[in-house]
Amino acid sequence: MISPRFSRRVLPLLVAALTLLLGQNHCFAETRTTNLWWAPDAVTVGGHKVDHLLTFVFNLTGITFIIVAAVYAWFIVKYRYRPGVRAVYSHGNDKLEAIWTCIPAVVFIGLAAYSNHLWKELRSAAPADAIPIDIVAHQFGWFIRNPGLDGKLGAFDQKLLSTENTFGIFDGDPDGAGKDDYSSSDLIIPVGRPVNVILRSQDVIHSFYIPEFRMYQDAVPGRKIDWVWFTADRTGSFQLACSQLCGSGHYNMKAAVKVVTQEEYDKIVKEKSKEALLDNLKKQSAQQQHDDSAPAAASQPVAQR
Amino acid sequence: MQPIAQKEEGLVSYKHEAAPTPHDDHGGDHHHHHAPHHGFFRTYVWSHDHKMIGMQYLFASLLFMAVSGALAMGVRWQLAFPGHPVPVIGHLLPASIANPDGSIAPGGYNALVTMHATIMIFLAIMPILIGVFGNFLIPLKIGAPDMAFPFFNALSFWLFFVSGIIMLASFFVPGGAAAGGWTSYAPLSTTAIYQGSAEAGHTYAQGQSMWALGIFINGLASIAGAANYITTIINMRCPGMTMFRLPLTVWALFITSFLLLLAVPVLSAAGAMLWFDLNAGTHFFSGDNVTGGQPLLWQHLFWFFGHPEVYIMILPAMGLVSEILPVFARKPIFGYRAMVYAIAAIGVLGFIVWGHHMFVSGMNLVLSATFSLSTMVIAVPSAIKTFNWMGTIWKGSIHFTTAMLFCLAFVILFVIGGFSGIFMAATPIDLFIHHTYHIVAHIHYVLFGGSLFAILGSIYFYFPKMFGRMMSERLGKWHFWLTFIFFNLTFFPMHNLGLAGMMRRIADPTQYEHLRNLQPLQVFVSLSAFGLGASFFLFWWNFFYSLFRGPKAPHNPWRANTLEWTLPSPITLHGNFEQTPVVYHGPYEYSVPGLSQDWLPQNMPLRDMPKNAGVAIDVD
Repeated sequence: MISPRFSRRVLPLLVAALTLLLGQNHCFAETRTTNLWWAPDAVTVGGHKVDHLLTFVFNLTGITFIIVAAVYAWFIVKYRYRPGVRAVYSHGNDKLEAIWTCIPAVVFIGLAAYSNHLWKELRSAAPADAIPIDIVAHQFGWFIRNPGLDGKLGAFDQKLLSTENTFGIFDGDPDGAGKDDYSSSDLIIPVGRPVNVILRSQDVIHSFYIPEFRMYQDAVPGRKIDWVWFTADRTGSFQLACSQLCGSGHYNMKAAVKVVTQEEYDKIVKEKSKEALLDNLKKQSAQQQHDDSAPAAASQPVAQR
Repeated sequence: MQPIAQKEEGLVSYKHEAAPTPHDDHGGDHHHHHAPHHGFFRTYVWSHDHKMIGMQYLFASLLFMAVSGALAMGVRWQLAFPGHPVPVIGHLLPASIANPDGSIAPGGYNALVTMHATIMIFLAIMPILIGVFGNFLIPLKIGAPDMAFPFFNALSFWLFFVSGIIMLASFFVPGGAAAGGWTSYAPLSTTAIYQGSAEAGHTYAQGQSMWALGIFINGLASIAGAANYITTIINMRCPGMTMFRLPLTVWALFITSFLLLLAVPVLSAAGAMLWFDLNAGTHFFSGDNVTGGQPLLWQHLFWFFGHPEVYIMILPAMGLVSEILPVFARKPIFGYRAMVYAIAAIGVLGFIVWGHHMFVSGMNLVLSATFSLSTMVIAVPSAIKTFNWMGTIWKGSIHFTTAMLFCLAFVILFVIGGFSGIFMAATPIDLFIHHTYHIVAHIHYVLFGGSLFAILGSIYFYFPKMFGRMMSERLGKWHFWLTFIFFNLTFFPMHNLGLAGMMRRIADPTQYEHLRNLQPLQVFVSLSAFGLGASFFLFWWNFFYSLFRGPKAPHNPWRANTLEWTLPSPITLHGNFEQTPVVYHGPYEYSVPGLSQDWLPQNMPLRDMPKNAGVAIDVD
């Protein structure tokens, strides 16, 4: 197996040189020139924990593999056919069987326990102060709805999802939390604050995948998945990719993810919330006038055969 | 190093050959011993003879494997050179696959990926492991004249063949072949409007419907075959052939048959439901929250089949390897009973791990923990088997024939595949590598490095018995080394690509910032894949040339113990054995001390074998 440490030095320089010669580099998201044989650096708190486990499993399997392969190669060379030398007549050894059943069992079950412990931690309920972000996947992008200054998302109903009502928002939002929600095409979150993503889908199964966040979750139509949360621990530009085959546009389904400082984030939220509030007021008064003159037409539900 | 097989001309006479049958002067001619009233149709098209059916499966599967390999070449072309027209044949590709300029279209790429996997799994690997080796070997190795249900057996083959025709035909219907992945997740696969099409303005799902129909018919063949094998193995063993004297190939196929019987009907049901969703207005798998369907239901049904399916594809391979390693190490299999129990354990545990495909699917998170545990546990019997294979060659006398090389490689490649699976079994790591090329690497190490290497080794091994001729060892070794090297160069870097975040089933990795810098690695992998594809031509040349021009094979070129090697090469007699054999011991009595030869056929009692005078005689 290739040691990540060796490959960090020599090969990336070669690959980077090749890439600069052969390819174009947009600075849309961070381009990687180091660590190309391993995973990109993790940028979330949970991501670092995943990396601990990843490195542990890599070392465990790597060392075991090297030992097994070395012994195997030695057997192949040492016990090759030689004239006059007979094989040993042996049907096995029960004691050895017991040993090499028990030791792997203990190791694997131990690993399962460790993994499940971390899994429980990563998938625990989002903290109460997490910023909720509503993401509705569709062919072939994501509609992203951010809470405004109040930090709360407007209520929605899955059954109301439609081509016009992309978030399934109630017409009459009782507590008014949704009035300042604004949508965006990019996912913009502040550094150091937990973010809780609520995943839904309008049509087929998509997914929410950001490699640097070590985060993956399928978005299933008809369901609301709200256990995805993470805390980014440094600023930067990343990419959100769809990683569940969703049709012919799957290969191009991506969005930008920006982790910004708290100040920048506050600025964006303030600005966008204000716009959203104004938009809402305008819509309300337009609707009022429309209602007075003609009854509203029903919009088409999305998943229609 | 003296090879155990003959030099390319003439027969070697042994001092004490197993009881020869009166028909050992027949060469590769199939016609001689068929009853006079069997014409061409009954001999070659609708044969009830398990040996002929096995060969029918072989030729059909090799053809399907070639097609699927070609599709994979298309996949690798697109990944390395996105948007570039496919050389030479680009303009000949159907509109559902390629753009007018001959480059592969995104929807077409999805179809290539889908059908590559579907054809390899259902029309190549499974039929060869189970249809070829199951059919050909089971009655021979247990001393039976044929399968329990010969008519049913013939029907199985033709059902399989028809399912293959349907799958291939799906490329040519409007909208082209299914393109939702071989896993066909709903509701993409069950809703025509989501599937889109290269032909603007239309949405077709005929390809997906044909996929579902093909899967259903293929399933019928598998179920029929499984019932046949179980009945044969339980009821038709010759005298002395107790269950614990069965060759491990037979044990593996026996347990695989139970897996088939229990898992395939679930897939058939799911396939039928998918077909109904597409064509009959049902809503089993819809996700619209209005009609009551559940997309995750498809995944549970599919993976309840899908996980035992992968064990269906590896257990027979393990059995075949467990058969060949002792022959060329001249040593009994290490830990026969442990091997049997391990096969059974893998079979049983295989039914309770399916959720590991669904850790991040939206399934209940507590279930993820339980499936993670069972997945880790199933690694234990595989570890046991690996150690036993190593124990088999320990202190052996290893002869490096082509068949042996493939089986030796199987062991270490399967270990790599198994270890990469450990990464995914740990759920937090799966959070990160789910649906990436790490999975693709794992799949190919176990299915190609595992199953296909075992298949290739077994073809070299049983070719003399099937066709009465020897394949060329020289070409075989070239084939092995080129395959082994190119295989590793192609699939090992995919572990790295997966860790780097490369998702599966994307037609153009350069669209993504985190992948663009890895394009040189993509090109490297593709070039290695083309080399791998090219090395297959060596195999096909060797195979077909040897069919007609290979040197005539003796009864027992490998000096193996199992019952099929007591018969002539090829076996032309319906009913196989002139007299029902009697078995006196297990199949792995190699290098028994005190005998003048280092092998002991199952049908020869120890007391009848000539002993040596204390001097180790060189058997070559």
